[in-house]
Amino acid sequence: MGHGRLIPLCPMQNDFEPVVLDGASDQDVSLLDILDHVLNAGVVVHGSLVLSLAGVDLIYVGLNVVLTSVETALRTLRAEEKKRELQ
Amino acid sequence: MTRVLAYCAFLNRPGISLPEHGLGGAVLNEIAQNGLRVLWSEVEWPFDSSALQRHAVEFHKVVSHMFSHGAVVPFRLLSVFDDKQALTDFVSTHQADFVEDLKRLQNLVQMECVLYFKPQAPVNSSGADYLHRKAELLRGSEAFVVEVRKALSTLSHGLRTRESKNGSRIFVLVERGNEHKFHSIVHNLPVPEKLFRRISGPWPPAEFLSESVKAPNIAGQK
Repeated sequence: MGHGRLIPLCPMQNDFEPVVLDGASDQDVSLLDILDHVLNAGVVVHGSLVLSLAGVDLIYVGLNVVLTSVETALRTLRAEEKKRELQ
Repeated sequence: MTRVLAYCAFLNRPGISLPEHGLGGAVLNEIAQNGLRVLWSEVEWPFDSSALQRHAVEFHKVVSHMFSHGAVVPFRLLSVFDDKQALTDFVSTHQADFVEDLKRLQNLVQMECVLYFKPQAPVNSSGADYLHRKAELLRGSEAFVVEVRKALSTLSHGLRTRESKNGSRIFVLVERGNEHKFHSIVHNLPVPEKLFRRISGPWPPAEFLSESVKAPNIAGQK
C-alpha cells in the first residue's frame, strides 16, 4: 500500500476499508482494526477503565460517565460509514 | 483538565527515531529508566467522543512508528495517568515486567485472522433450523482453526484463539519478516462455506503479553 494522507472511509465487502497513514506504514489497516486495537489491546491502567462484563468490553470514559460497549461503538461507526457512502 | 496519556513502552536501542508529535499535535515526551522508554503526551481529558476516531488513528500512528523499529508494549488509548509523576511511579514499579516481556517478544509480531459469518435472519424457517445452521457455522469455524494451527506449525511461535458470537479470532506470533509467509499460508487455506476470512497484521503482540503487564496491579490509584 502506498503512503499518503488519511482517506475517507466507506464500507467494503466486509465493512473494513483500508486507512492510508502518513509515514512509513505498509499495513493494510482499517479504521475498525485501529479502533479495536487501540481500545482493546495493550496495557490497561486507571483513569478510564475497560471493564469486561459477561465477555463484553465496556468503556468507562473519565468523569463524563459515558458507558458503552466496544461492539456498540463499532456498530455505530459502521452505520455512519454506510450512511456516508449512500450520500 | 489535563492528563498524561501513555502510548507505548520499548527497549532503548541505538538509532531509534521518535514520531514528530503525539495525539492532536501534542508534544511527545519520554520517560527512560534502566533501558526502558515510555512515550507520553499531556492531553485534555476526558476526550470529546466525536474526536475518538481521529484520536485513535493518531494514537495508532505513534505506536506503529515505534513498532516499526522493534517490539513495543502498547497502552490502551483510554488509559491515562493523573500526571507525569504517576506515570513515572508506574514505570518504576513495573519496569522489570515490561522489560522481560519486551525481551521475550523482541523479534516477534502478532498476525491475526478473523473468521466470521454474517448473521442471517431466519426466513421461513424455525428457530431450531436457525440454531442448527449456526452450530454448523461454528463447527466450520473450529475446523478452520485446527487447519490454521497445523499449517502454521513451523512458522508460529504461539497461537491463541478467541471465540465470538460470529466466529473466531486467531492470533499468531511470528518472527518479524515472516508476515508475508503467514499471509500466504492462511490465505491459501480453504474457508468453509458461508464463512469469511480477514487477515491483518503485523500488530504489536498485545495478545501475548503477560498478565502482569496487560493489567498491572495499580494499588493506591484512583
